[in-house]
Amino acid sequence: MNFNPCLKHKTVRKTVSKFVETELGPIAHEIDQNARFPVEVVEKMRALNFFGLQVPRKYGGAEMDSISYAIVIEEISRVCAAMGLCITVHNSVGTNPIAQFGTKEQKEKFLPPLASGEIIGAFCLTEANAGSDAGGVETTAVEDGDDYVINGTKIFVTNGGICGSALIFAITDSENQRSTSSVLIAEKNTPGFFVGEIEDLCGMRANPVSSLFFEDCRVPKSNLLGRKGDGLKIGLSTLDSGRIGIAAQALGIAQAAFDDALKYSKERQQFKKPLSNFQTIQNYLADMATEIDAARLLLYRACVFKDSGKAFGAEAAMAKLYCSTLASRVTGLAVQIHGGYGYSKEYDVERYFRDAKVTEIYEGTSEVQRMVIARSLLSKPT
Amino acid sequence: MLKLIVCIKQVPMVSELNWDPRTGTLKRDLAEGMMNPACHHALEAALRLKDLHGGHITAITMGPPMAEEVLREAMAIGADRCILLTDKRLAGADTFMTSFILARAIEKECSNFDIILCGCHTSDSETAQVGPQLAEELKIPGAAYVEWLELKENILRMKRLSDNFLETMEMDLPGLVTVTTSHYQPRYVPLSGIQDAYDKCDIITLDADDLKLNIIGTKDSPTRILKVYSPCSEKKNIEMKGPAKKIAEELLDKFGRKIGGAIKKDLKAYEQEK
Repeated sequence: MNFNPCLKHKTVRKTVSKFVETELGPIAHEIDQNARFPVEVVEKMRALNFFGLQVPRKYGGAEMDSISYAIVIEEISRVCAAMGLCITVHNSVGTNPIAQFGTKEQKEKFLPPLASGEIIGAFCLTEANAGSDAGGVETTAVEDGDDYVINGTKIFVTNGGICGSALIFAITDSENQRSTSSVLIAEKNTPGFFVGEIEDLCGMRANPVSSLFFEDCRVPKSNLLGRKGDGLKIGLSTLDSGRIGIAAQALGIAQAAFDDALKYSKERQQFKKPLSNFQTIQNYLADMATEIDAARLLLYRACVFKDSGKAFGAEAAMAKLYCSTLASRVTGLAVQIHGGYGYSKEYDVERYFRDAKVTEIYEGTSEVQRMVIARSLLSKPT
Repeated sequence: MLKLIVCIKQVPMVSELNWDPRTGTLKRDLAEGMMNPACHHALEAALRLKDLHGGHITAITMGPPMAEEVLREAMAIGADRCILLTDKRLAGADTFMTSFILARAIEKECSNFDIILCGCHTSDSETAQVGPQLAEELKIPGAAYVEWLELKENILRMKRLSDNFLETMEMDLPGLVTVTTSHYQPRYVPLSGIQDAYDKCDIITLDADDLKLNIIGTKDSPTRILKVYSPCSEKKNIEMKGPAKKIAEELLDKFGRKIGGAIKKDLKAYEQEK
């Protein structure tokens, strides 16, 4: 077992870190305040393969291994979690399902523009009455001639406001909902595809999260991903990979909060000595660093399992559960160490604190992660 | 086809400088490495020549095995071939010996070159000697501190800042330039390039035996480092007492140069003029 990062992973980290610190660092606060999606940076990210991280080379992607992928998301999120969110959702759940389950024609049509970032992808599962319960969606896709006609409303769609294509989770047989949910690829310019208002959220404010409405939206049958009724299978498999991305994002936020707290604790003087001289603060810092390291190892284990072709659902769920819980805890402590300043928008820890919370909610809540882990534990013979 | 060579050095990240107080050399194996900024600009200059004229770039570095990382980075950004000169016997080579070894490697592996590009200086030693010495070793023309260059019909036209004058010069090829950090802002590394650089490309590794060199870096280098130390500064209040005229004179005598530096005026010349 080798705990040293290989040269390639070091290079990936340095490269991404340099890019995001130069391009996103100076505007991260502003785009959060103004809830602005930074198109000028996205333009630069396109040419550097940020939108095709794991897409095969023949479709224009970078075909990265999963640890490299996690490092990219962690480093973006360390500086700007909202952009980390855009990139991980686009890649892991907006694009990779097409690479994994798509037909040759679907791959040739959709992967090149997605991998180049010409269009940004989204994944629509959550509805007013469905989220954690993936089988409970109410959006319908009814066969009509050569098309499916989609009707329904998807909410809290990450990248919703800027997506060029979306994977829609819909039921294709109203008689037997659970067995026949399917996934369809819908393009934004299709009649009946409408984008709702951008949500006013607590964190991740630079990402245009919105609702998507489908009113008699006709997509050709050739846009059905996998087979009819494969919805749950594709959805669950996609979410396993998606969780690696969200775990990496949470880890990046935690790392940023820790770095700021460590620096501040050495600078801030109280009772004529730096905060870092107080044992209570030292204990906070020691716990934060230990948990961040543990989280990173859990995450990389899930990545290695995924790349070696092993089942990694439980490992990804453990990584996502631990990284996101840790992110909330560490950002909370970072605010605490900063005291009143930490509660002010003058310091970045306030943004980290707001951004961290949602990592415990989306891509499967912490409660759902525990269900996944427990199911895996209980399914093994004793 | 235009054949370009870029000499690259891996330097420690500024925040992590460690050195051995006994030998006066940097402990490179302990520090996180990065491509020397000026070398990065030299690589960018080479890439822009390649973009315009086509060509082939060989990146070459001398250092410990971990210097492989900067070569992979060069490859990720567009270098076509990479050579790593690494041998414990060559460790501790000074600039004179480094230029000598680089010259032998270039003669062996890529003698048919058109332009060699180096960074104008390195952030860890700041001698700015390797480039010009390498030109001497290879007996080719060399120009240091080049800010801009263009190629026209096998003549290299360059601009460089010298004593506040911008010189425009021309050079026959093959030749060597050392590039400053003022103009050629390095491009970002594409992520697909990193994957290819590590998964699909080989690096040529050479040691002293490959170059038929029977030298020891520390012993055969003519330079001796006497002392390495951290530059330190201190803040101090100084009280001067006495008549105003006397204090003013004393102040100028003792600190005139520093004050002149701060206000960008030569106070001594000003006084003489008066």
